[in-house]
Amino acid sequence: MPFGALEEIIVLDLSDRLAASFCAKTLGLYGCEVIKVESLEGDPLRQWTSPTQNGQVDDSPIFLHLNAGKKSISMDLHSKKGQSLLADLMKVSDVVIESQKPGHWEEKGLSYNQIKNINPSIIFTSVTPYGQTGPYKNFAYDELTLFAMTGAMNREGLPDREPLRYAGEIAQYFAGNAAAAATASTLFKRTLTGEGDWLDISIQECMAGHPHQIGRRAPYIYAGEPDPRSQPRTSASGAREPYAVGTFRCKDGYFSFLPLGPRMWPNIAKMINREDLMTHPKYDDTIKRSENKDELEAIFQAWLNDKTREEIFKAVQAAGVPGSPILQPEEVHKNEQFIARDFFQDVTHPNGQTLRMTGDPFRLSNTANSQIEPAPTLGQNTTQVLQNLLQMSYDEIETLTTEKII
Amino acid sequence: MKLGASKPLSTIRALELSEIWAGPFCGCLMGDMGAEIIKVESIQRIGRGPINPPSNAGGYPDDDPGNDPWNRQSNFNAINRNKKSLTLDLKTEQGLNAFKDLVSQSDIVFCNYARTVMENFGLSYDEVRKIKPDIIYMLMPGYGNTGPYADYRSMGMAIDAITGHSFLRGYPDMDHSSNSLVHHPDAVAATNGVMAIASALVHRTKTGEGQFIDMSQAESFMTHLGEIYLENQMQSFSRQRRGNRHPDFAPQGVYKCSGEDNWIAISIKSEADWSKFKATVANNHLNSDVFDTLSGRQQNHDQIDKIINEWTYSQDRYDVLNRLQSDEITSGVVLDCGADSYADPHLNERDFFQIVEHPSAGIYPMTGPIFKFESSNGHVIHNPAPCLGQDNMYVLKEVLGYGNDKITQFEANEIIGTVPLPGSDMGGSRRVAK
Repeated sequence: MPFGALEEIIVLDLSDRLAASFCAKTLGLYGCEVIKVESLEGDPLRQWTSPTQNGQVDDSPIFLHLNAGKKSISMDLHSKKGQSLLADLMKVSDVVIESQKPGHWEEKGLSYNQIKNINPSIIFTSVTPYGQTGPYKNFAYDELTLFAMTGAMNREGLPDREPLRYAGEIAQYFAGNAAAAATASTLFKRTLTGEGDWLDISIQECMAGHPHQIGRRAPYIYAGEPDPRSQPRTSASGAREPYAVGTFRCKDGYFSFLPLGPRMWPNIAKMINREDLMTHPKYDDTIKRSENKDELEAIFQAWLNDKTREEIFKAVQAAGVPGSPILQPEEVHKNEQFIARDFFQDVTHPNGQTLRMTGDPFRLSNTANSQIEPAPTLGQNTTQVLQNLLQMSYDEIETLTTEKII
Repeated sequence: MKLGASKPLSTIRALELSEIWAGPFCGCLMGDMGAEIIKVESIQRIGRGPINPPSNAGGYPDDDPGNDPWNRQSNFNAINRNKKSLTLDLKTEQGLNAFKDLVSQSDIVFCNYARTVMENFGLSYDEVRKIKPDIIYMLMPGYGNTGPYADYRSMGMAIDAITGHSFLRGYPDMDHSSNSLVHHPDAVAATNGVMAIASALVHRTKTGEGQFIDMSQAESFMTHLGEIYLENQMQSFSRQRRGNRHPDFAPQGVYKCSGEDNWIAISIKSEADWSKFKATVANNHLNSDVFDTLSGRQQNHDQIDKIINEWTYSQDRYDVLNRLQSDEITSGVVLDCGADSYADPHLNERDFFQIVEHPSAGIYPMTGPIFKFESSNGHVIHNPAPCLGQDNMYVLKEVLGYGNDKITQFEANEIIGTVPLPGSDMGGSRRVAK
């Protein structure tokens, strides 16, 4: 078994929010040893939308996903002794990932500028909603309110209704992923120079700097183009082939299409067995097709009505029309492509349940694919971590336990 | 190798063969972190928006495509900051050999075209590694480089659909055909692409080995939806569309404020929040015992929304925001990507916008890099997107050491150039007339 690319890197995960936690998880998939430092009460996400309602705190789906493969050490971070223990851990770690309000660690003597005195090559990655500076730095947030501030929400939904968020915790995941990329890049520099750094990652800026947002901001600043929500058969970049753009009902669900421009018209006409329409005087150029889009949409919809998503997927690939079936979430892990690639991994959790969990976001040919391990129970690895990283004796650990520091 | 360089990837040269979003944004992020990104384009096939004729909705400066619309297209210029541009006709032996010479001077090759494009040029990973054994080489097709969908066409829309995200987005009270056409996932392959390349660079430093990176845009995005797939296995019901609501919090929503299309998002996340919020809104109807529990508020959510909307409707969104945040109530204003974000005090204080002078497009404040490093005092560099073929001489002369005769021949044979050839226009794939 080859090693992970980031083997032998120790990551202290101090996160208590999604984005930073996902940053640490992603690094863990590629070989970092991720030690999740929790308070004695545990990560608040342990109790988030717990579906089984059985009183257990470790069965929240989002906690299980974000923390798969991490080790957990729990300690009293309010006490001086706990803080001193954390400083000892920071001293022997390579990366610290945290999500607290700006200034939080400074009060405890554990900020980057304080820790770099005892560990000059530490990489300190702060993933916070609005970054370390600026008037919003202490704002309370969740996915909904943060997503609103990124520019993405303003275009999601219909012009005459309230704007919408995306379905998942998208902005936070995206920022966590970006933070992992920046952290790994800084790790690379460190292999050459030994230098650490402090990364100030703002979730708002990551999502506001997403290509779709910068791709809308540029035409505004170049030419004053507004940025409205649009009707579903159009898009912000104009109606393409409007009768065939967007989401359509079919026999067993929904199918998405995004034909890019007039050059797609012959492909579409052939696909729906209506090559006769290509020379029809009502449809033979893109302006006429836009004017007569309702008629064409009815023809297109009629072709879809008696076809399954699978049949349409084959047809679009044969015809060269960009399109994809909309899967329901429970269908995704049964999809032939993801099965063929062994993307999901079966992971048995401490409660005995085996769950299919998402695997590696990308694969490296010369290093190991990850073997997903279940998320840890609270403090599951406290003793092991203190012994291995700090060479603490059994008696020392026993004393900390008695004092309720760990 | 420049030791002690101040940016994470300053020692790295990467060759980008990409268009639209995923590949270009990957190069953009690496360029932000100091890598030398050479975008390999051609005058035979131009991926910089429609040019013949230029679209009247192309977002050109002052709506003027100018004589070189390919250098003035807003989308292209936004997403290709901090890069160089080289043109090469890879369908000719001379162009292909120049590319191979460049590979031997580079660390990374990445491509977001269909899986077989590089292979068809004779530039598969196996060919490229013969030239540079420790090359890091990434292909990022929609569904990955293996499996029954390896050669399927895809883009962000397809990834959004096949991962289940499209099924869960949109208004819960409407049909899915009302879903918007904006699709987030392309960019996830970009951030993961940087993560992959950086990890491979760490491995190369330790072992001297390069590697092939198999990026599936779908799998890349699916790691952002992990809890949704788990829910369906852990509970007897499956998640349906929620709009702006979340099962742990209520009330929660986006409410209309004064002015045109102005909104505020509010989340009440605890009983303490609810008490403070009630006091702020000061509407007796909210004092009903029915609303004292999360489930009570969830059952009567529409009724509460109506009261909140009455309260926000005549107020300025920023006034509501500041009032709620002073009570630590979770809230945010909906900013558009135009005037709103440029006026936002927080983004401005953090220098999110950078004044960029582009040689053809002019001087504009453009969206800046997203990472801030203490080692550079938070300062970020935003060089303008390159004009087509702008760096041909730099690459051929300085990097490859080609002589003037050879370069003259390249120009004569249209291997390189700075003006697209007739017929190179890929049409209105990005934008069409309003």
